[in-house]
Amino acid sequence: MNNSSWLIRREFWENRAIWLVPAVIAGLLMIGAVFGHVQFGGDLFRPDGPGGGVPSQVSLYALSGVVTSMFLIIMSVYSGWYLLDCLHADRKDRSILFWKSLPISDSETVLVKLLVGLIVIPLVYFAIADVTILFMAFILSLRTGAWAASGFWHPSLWLQTQGFWLYTIVTLAIWFLPVAGWLMLISAWASRAVILWSVLPPLAIFIGERWMFGTYYFGRELLDRLGAGYARYAFNVTEGGEGWKTEVLHPGGGDETVSFPTSLWHLLDPVGFFGSPATWIGAAVGVALIFAAIQLRSRRAEI
Amino acid sequence: MPPLIEARELSKRYGKHLALDRVSFSIESGRIVGLIGPNGAGKTSALRSLLGLTNYEGHLRVLGREPLRERTALMADACFIADVAVLPGWLRVDQAIDFVAGVHPKFRRERAKALLERTQIRGSHRMRELSKGMKTQVHLALTMAIDARLFVLDEPTLGLDLLARRSFYDALVNDYMDETRTILITTHQVEEVENLLTDVMFIDKGRIVLDCSLEAVAQRYAAVAVSGAGLDAARGLRPFYERRTLGKTVLYYENPDFAKLADFGEVLTPSVSDLFVAKLAGEAS
Repeated sequence: MNNSSWLIRREFWENRAIWLVPAVIAGLLMIGAVFGHVQFGGDLFRPDGPGGGVPSQVSLYALSGVVTSMFLIIMSVYSGWYLLDCLHADRKDRSILFWKSLPISDSETVLVKLLVGLIVIPLVYFAIADVTILFMAFILSLRTGAWAASGFWHPSLWLQTQGFWLYTIVTLAIWFLPVAGWLMLISAWASRAVILWSVLPPLAIFIGERWMFGTYYFGRELLDRLGAGYARYAFNVTEGGEGWKTEVLHPGGGDETVSFPTSLWHLLDPVGFFGSPATWIGAAVGVALIFAAIQLRSRRAEI
Repeated sequence: MPPLIEARELSKRYGKHLALDRVSFSIESGRIVGLIGPNGAGKTSALRSLLGLTNYEGHLRVLGREPLRERTALMADACFIADVAVLPGWLRVDQAIDFVAGVHPKFRRERAKALLERTQIRGSHRMRELSKGMKTQVHLALTMAIDARLFVLDEPTLGLDLLARRSFYDALVNDYMDETRTILITTHQVEEVENLLTDVMFIDKGRIVLDCSLEAVAQRYAAVAVSGAGLDAARGLRPFYERRTLGKTVLYYENPDFAKLADFGEVLTPSVSDLFVAKLAGEAS
């Protein structure tokens, strides 16, 4: 356990981008909030604006949603790169010979890197996103006037946001375990061109399946795993269901409406996620790939 | 007490190439052993096997453990410097010390700091900012601060200038070696280590061609410089190698009749480097 904490620290020393990248984004957003045009929600939610009676909590949703998805996208790219690089970089610069001269097992090394890629990096991003949103909400409510304050400073909403993130981190980690396992396997195996090696075999299977059987099962499953599948299983995205509220936008006339959940809890679908075979089949594949990566790691020194 | 390292029929294969061909040897505690061979002889394969960095065939025990399966436990009592400096460029000297102190139960931080205080190296330096010689100093300080029973060095001074090489070995012998420790050094530069070794092992083409202590070298090997008439008679005593130098021919013998040899001239004990050349060239012919 003590080893693990040092191994995690080591990852932060080596990969300063883990916190530097989100910190820079946060800085830019904060500067934008102080000096830029206030665009979140625009005029929509001002009491005298076209949104009229729409509750101001929507402005927090909007702010939080935009900022979070920005961090989430950059985090996915960075995490993927980190996992693909983490067992390769020290073989390339031969420092693996130093790390392996210490009494740390290969499984501990691999598992810590997996933990960093799937849990620690998301935690860092979400913590920084959290601070950013807090700061931006503060500045924006100062700049837009008192009308927004009631929405931005809504304790139960903040609590919901934190719960939402924790749920997202846990479910993301489980859902993307097979992807992480694949990236780490390539990282432990390839002697160069890790990006190419991570892409080529799935592409070959896709083309091979199409060519031989004329079917697309593999490609469809893969795209689902990488894309829409996660949101479908982990979240309840049907608008207008229970717990959703729809308001007409222009009280003076028109039929434009805005739909939003009355509570973020309504968006989460833990039963759907943890109850679905796709989740656990994926996780099992992930465990097998990570086991293989550990085996490779223990038999390979430098490139 | 069983030997510190015991190898029987140890082989290492890379595809069709046999890097180690059923070698057997053992190393006792308290020795300084040089594993000497030309490039590509199998030195590094042997060390990688001993340290659990690669798989192998045959029987191998290091400190009573099976290296590949028990590397983690083994590394609590053994340490190694593989090839030249392999400390990563991003690592800072103080981070390196903190890390090793954090994960190694037998690391003495004070000792590492004392060793580094004699140098120009500061804790805030990153490895990429240091010269090759300085990196080696850091690595040596980190390793010598570990109370390990076995210290393995693989071509530790490759790429270092003469001054750095000399101070490296001085530090090793003066600050580290005592009777509880065992050192295994591989090198292809024999002259550099021959004065500090207690035992030598020559390895060539995956096989061990000589394995003995330096005391035994004097009893087992002899060289005689012969000129003119005696040469044919001296050849009759079956030297395994001969070399012409300054009008004389130096003949090398294994387990000779020393009394008979003395008739041809002064009987000398060959130096490790001479023996190395003689043995390897003798094998080849």
